[in-house]
Amino acid sequence: MKKGKSSDSKQVLKVRRFIYNETTAGYIFALPFIIGFLGFTIVPIVSSFYYSFTDYSLIDKKSWVGLDNYVKLMGDKRFWNSVYVTFKYVITSVPLKLIFALFIAMIMTRKTRLTGFYRSLYYVPSLIGGSIAVTLVWKELFSRRGLINQMLGMLGIDRVSWFGDQRMALIPLILLTVWQFGSSMIIFAAGLKQIPTTYYEAAKIDGANRIKSFFKITLPCLSPVILYNLVMQTISAFMTFTQAFVITSGGPNDATNFYALYMYNNAFTYRNMGYASAMSWIMLVVISIVTLVIFKSSKYWVFSEADK
Amino acid sequence: MKLRRIMVLILAVSTMFALVACKGNQAEETDKKDDKPVATKAPEATDDKEDEPVVEVAPEPVTLRMAWWGSQARHDKTIAVIEMYQELNPHVTIQYEFLDFDGYFQKLNTLVASDDCWDIMQMGGNFPAYLSKIYPLNDLIADGTIDTSNTTDAFLKTTRYNGIQVGVSNGVNTYGVAYDPALFAEAGIPEPQEGWTWDEYAEICNTFKEKLDIYGSSKFDDFAAGCGSGIPQYGLDYNFYATTNDDLGFDDYTLLVDYIQMRADLTASGGYPDPGAIAEIKDIEGDFLVTGEAAMTWVASNQFIALSEAAGRELKLVPMPRRTKDGPAGSAIQSSQMFSISTDSKNPVEAAKFLSFFWGDAEANKILANERGMSIFNNVIKALEPDLTPEQIKVNEFVNLIGSYEVGETNPISPAPSQEIQDYYKLIIEKVIYGEMTADQAAKDYYDFAKSKFD
Repeated sequence: MKKGKSSDSKQVLKVRRFIYNETTAGYIFALPFIIGFLGFTIVPIVSSFYYSFTDYSLIDKKSWVGLDNYVKLMGDKRFWNSVYVTFKYVITSVPLKLIFALFIAMIMTRKTRLTGFYRSLYYVPSLIGGSIAVTLVWKELFSRRGLINQMLGMLGIDRVSWFGDQRMALIPLILLTVWQFGSSMIIFAAGLKQIPTTYYEAAKIDGANRIKSFFKITLPCLSPVILYNLVMQTISAFMTFTQAFVITSGGPNDATNFYALYMYNNAFTYRNMGYASAMSWIMLVVISIVTLVIFKSSKYWVFSEADK
Repeated sequence: MKLRRIMVLILAVSTMFALVACKGNQAEETDKKDDKPVATKAPEATDDKEDEPVVEVAPEPVTLRMAWWGSQARHDKTIAVIEMYQELNPHVTIQYEFLDFDGYFQKLNTLVASDDCWDIMQMGGNFPAYLSKIYPLNDLIADGTIDTSNTTDAFLKTTRYNGIQVGVSNGVNTYGVAYDPALFAEAGIPEPQEGWTWDEYAEICNTFKEKLDIYGSSKFDDFAAGCGSGIPQYGLDYNFYATTNDDLGFDDYTLLVDYIQMRADLTASGGYPDPGAIAEIKDIEGDFLVTGEAAMTWVASNQFIALSEAAGRELKLVPMPRRTKDGPAGSAIQSSQMFSISTDSKNPVEAAKFLSFFWGDAEANKILANERGMSIFNNVIKALEPDLTPEQIKVNEFVNLIGSYEVGETNPISPAPSQEIQDYYKLIIEKVIYGEMTADQAAKDYYDFAKSKFD
């Protein structure tokens, strides 16, 4: 009896120690995320890897097809077109967006009373930009009788069939992305504040003009921030889906059939889930390589304090 | 200090539960939002369902899930009938949702994968892909749960597949061309007559462009016009898909050339909208015929009423153009869509009872007003007769006219890869429009693509 009681109290002590441990509370708080991450990220990633070797169709029984999906992809013209379109989109939209974000961020560093207000205002597109509603507005803006064409008309320029011309269709989508420059801008603005004003003062005394000090001081000091923005925006640009899905459905003539859209259509419209899974794995590899290249190249252009 | 730690712990745990609980609530809330008039009856209903025997003596509360695609008019009418049924059968709660066509099938695909299909689901000619999820209605019809005494076996056959009754048609329809007689008069063009040809169609389109500077034709269902109904126009024994549904139903890819060439030519001349303009047509209300920017449009006969209502002026219906004046019409009467019961349903009998009401009840169909197609039930047709509007009479006459045509063995069914093949057809037409291919190359490429899907 006595022995039992002491072991009981030992148990209680153990439980108490477990409960009162700081890390326990931490894990419990993190539990929703951990469950979500395991259930909605890790499990799908692993199962999609398995599916990419099957002919899974959502409905019928799947069977193992080995590398068939990957082989078929190599011969799929629409697949290569989607790769081409996506690269074209990434290469044009990301630099434009970053330049625009940096430009606005530079203007925002001027100290006026309204800076805070404007900064929030310019961030709004990023908050709502990915939504269906804004995308639909964009579609209206660039429609045949939309605002953009009316403004062009006032300038005496002929109506442009934005989504009816395969050379033009990508432009509105790129503009929509560039317009969502808010989050890069905020990060740039924070980076700009970190640059000591003494650098500029010294440069001014030495007779450097504004342009020179921008290229010799601002850009080098900001390069770690640029690297971060570049990587993040490149990854998100590769995964662009909403614009093409809502505005153009990939048309005309597949000119805006982004990789993610083609993958989605294969998975959920054509019911080739195995094929789409293979696509997603190729996407993962491509993004990893591009990111790696950016990181490797960074030692040539990113300036860090330690190198001084 | 101790207290704080305990509080932190409690907070953590309760946050977790709150998160889980929130999820449940959200689902319930959306349900409620969707069917706002549905008085939530006995929430235990869902729990009881599992161990409830299928054949019941006293009506136990039942919840059925139901979904369809369509236009706003369809949503309003269907919801009204659901409410009517719930009033008559207080133990039944029907949770419904409605989507657009693409969204419907994308959602259905995910539900199929998770074995969680709606009890009652609307299905079109593409049902073969979902066959494993469709509950056969044969027994429910045999034992009278679904009352088919007012229709004929010929009509029931339209939704039978390898002996399995996959559903019952919600109504029959056929394709045609709607046009605006006032615009024809304005341009001085004689109105199209039954038996007109594609050449005449193209000429009319171009004349409208020249005389009134509008599109001659609004968006056509290219796949139906060029393939589904287009191929049978070359001969009574041709079909785009073989009647066995495991192959194409014709050997000569050149049969596809004419339509593709015509579409490219008409887009170039401006008689037909370019792909960007077509992408701007969101629904019937936005069709260029309704907005007055085009003189003709493609229409499924049951949609003619909504189209006329949207236009607010007199429109007329004519059968689709033919290859040659005396050649086959290509069009045939088909089931526009049906309701099926899913094998995931825990209450197929209750679902069947509702559907029997939906299909065959005269009062319910006065509300539905053939919006899904001309009813296949005699009692419904009779009940609707006195109140038909002039537009509805036009549609019925049109359907009867098409029904009088001689047709070969038609195939209204879309085999599993159909969606992909249809998308590819759209792409290939655009490739010809943008001059990347000749119509002949495009037809060959498309034929090979479609064929390869059946290997």
